[in-house]
Amino acid sequence: MSISELLSEYGDMYVQALLGTWWMSLVSFAFAMLLALIITVFRVCPIKPLRVVGDLYVQIFRNIPGVSLLIILVYALPYLKIVMDYRLCVIVTVILVASAFGSENFMSGINTIGVGQIEAARSLGMGFGKMLRLVVIPQALRSAVLPMTNLAVAVLLTTALGSQVPLSPPELTGLVSYINTRTVGGILPFVISALMYAGTAFVIGVIGNAIDKKVRIVR
Amino acid sequence: MTQTQTGEALAAEGTPVIELRHVDKHFGSLHVLKDINLKVGKGEVVVVIGPSGSGKSTLCRTINRLETIDSGEVLIEGKPLPQEGKELAAMRAEIGMVFQSFNLFAHRSIIDNVTMGPVEVLSVPRDKAREEGMELLRRVGVAEQAEKMPAQLSGGQQQRVAIARSLAMHPKAMLFDEPTSALDPEMINEVLDVMVELARGGMTMVVVTHEMGFARRVSDRVVFMADGAIIEEGKPDEFFEHPTTERAREFLDSIKGH
Amino acid sequence: MSATNSTSMRDALYESPGPHTRRRIRFWTAISLVLVAVGIGLIVRRFYVTGQLAPRYWELFARPTTWIFLGKGFLGTIEVSLMAGLIAIVLGFLLMLGRMSSSRVLSGICRVIINFFRGVPSLLLIYFFFLVVPTYGVKMSSFWMITLPVGLAASGVLAEVFRGGMNAVPKGQSEAAYSLGMRKMKVTMKIVFPQAVRYVIPSLISQLVVVVKDTTVAYVVSFPDMLQNARVLITNYDALVSVYFVVAILYILVNYAINHLAVSLARRSGTSIISRTSENPV
Repeated sequence: MSISELLSEYGDMYVQALLGTWWMSLVSFAFAMLLALIITVFRVCPIKPLRVVGDLYVQIFRNIPGVSLLIILVYALPYLKIVMDYRLCVIVTVILVASAFGSENFMSGINTIGVGQIEAARSLGMGFGKMLRLVVIPQALRSAVLPMTNLAVAVLLTTALGSQVPLSPPELTGLVSYINTRTVGGILPFVISALMYAGTAFVIGVIGNAIDKKVRIVR
Repeated sequence: MTQTQTGEALAAEGTPVIELRHVDKHFGSLHVLKDINLKVGKGEVVVVIGPSGSGKSTLCRTINRLETIDSGEVLIEGKPLPQEGKELAAMRAEIGMVFQSFNLFAHRSIIDNVTMGPVEVLSVPRDKAREEGMELLRRVGVAEQAEKMPAQLSGGQQQRVAIARSLAMHPKAMLFDEPTSALDPEMINEVLDVMVELARGGMTMVVVTHEMGFARRVSDRVVFMADGAIIEEGKPDEFFEHPTTERAREFLDSIKGH
Repeated sequence: MSATNSTSMRDALYESPGPHTRRRIRFWTAISLVLVAVGIGLIVRRFYVTGQLAPRYWELFARPTTWIFLGKGFLGTIEVSLMAGLIAIVLGFLLMLGRMSSSRVLSGICRVIINFFRGVPSLLLIYFFFLVVPTYGVKMSSFWMITLPVGLAASGVLAEVFRGGMNAVPKGQSEAAYSLGMRKMKVTMKIVFPQAVRYVIPSLISQLVVVVKDTTVAYVVSFPDMLQNARVLITNYDALVSVYFVVAILYILVNYAINHLAVSLARRSGTSIISRTSENPV
């Protein structure tokens, strides 16, 4: 199959697949960040049960294989009378996994600050809120930029789980198997999808590095 | 335990700015502060010395409740140190603290470090805080570095900024927790000079340090601690020339060695 | 991903509470305990009302044959993971050597390859070996159809891990070796790499978690790993929910153990874990 044949037949689907992958990645990443923030608050708060819940959440979702989780959402939850459509299942899977890693990134961001600065803030008469707003959060966010950039790439790659359930239109990985089960597509459909992933990952990396350069804290 | 009369006599006039009464503290099974009694009068410079692990840093940190105490009382201008909340924060705003490791806010410029307290805690207008901050930076000799980030400064410069940051709050008293221990030898004096000037200007100071020269030249009173207890205190000349306790003599001999 | 030693700072954020704060913490601890209990109760209830707690879904776990069968699948998972890990280590090492070579061209090519493997989902690579490669007449067993792509995907990350390890070896070591008259190849292989290994072992182990996770799609190529065998169990016993949940927990425990090992090794040797989401600390 030549590239022109491939594009004339599947060009539209590639555009849709790329947009679909981007959209799933964006939504997943946004919600994962939000959830990661909440989980991190749980994990640092002085209320023990919430800490335990936060830690448990992170251990569960950073260690569960994505497919295993997706299968549970897609095939097991309906038995428990919880039904989501396929795309939502994929997005929820990515959010759950990514938020666990996101929380780990936030935690290590907090860890880079050091007890000394916290004590300095306290000595200046800052209450907990001010200390958080002026000292902890700005620094934790800045040092989380690079890890979060890498997490964004990981989210992009994890959306490939969408190929394991019938999505229509399929996303970039699913499309490769879709094309190959219909025609002998050869290497080309694979290469196009791969380049779209790698290109997107590259752009995410460039953006992340640019942000990091701007906000990085010299220590 | 020899609670000498000199301390009482020195701090006799008026209410002491800082007072510790029968303060006790344990870290687990370790008794780190044993029945500490200390008064620091207005304008007094008290230097706390002693071997490492003697509890002198802990003592210093209990004064603004960076360390809690098990029993006893900490009084600031006669009022008990609040235990939490706005009252504690307000009290801390009135007491400056300088740390061994500087602890400048790594993500803000030097001038921002100095103005953050006044602007955010005391609600001083930004312009006014900046003006005053620059004046303070000039006083400690780092005004040219105002727009730089903390990591771009030498340790000595960072520590002087940390002092300026505390001064910007117009504190009633300043606590120094081994302010020169993390510094390279050639930078120690630039920090001590600033502290000497502060002391001459009438600042009430509690200084935990290993700098015996500073203790001797500047302090009004030397407090010697060992094993969590105040063993001896007195005027610097008397203490260094004629220590009354065996522990103090041993300590002074050991540091004379090098 | 990144290993965090999070106990110190998370406690430092809150100072030791005064009496009022302590009372408030106690209050909210009680409330949250109740909420957590209610949450757990709701989940259990959901299982109960949908009939999923019925013994017929769970009694299969009392049979040794179930565990033997799952154990066989687990052996498959280990086999595939170790082989994929080996492929990743060898290829990652070669890619690192290329990336660090003084030849601009070679270094550039290796960099592109590394970034390609890091920027492409392992699933896509699996489909490549499953769907595309056979069309060119290459016959492959399901074992290689899963190990090769998973290994390739991990090799990009490992190349960067190795590079981080090599850079962590103090410059003085290679300078000393050069001054003894060693050639570059010898310096790299005999002096720098053996020391770099110490730095990267925790990272290698933690990367194994990623590999184990990636191999769970082995059912795509019908390789009998743990998840694939679980699917067989499901059809045999008609017990989907219980089997999928139990298998998920098994994976979590295995990966947790691997992570734990990596972190404790890293802590003991005073190194940090380099991975996809952690930058290389200078």
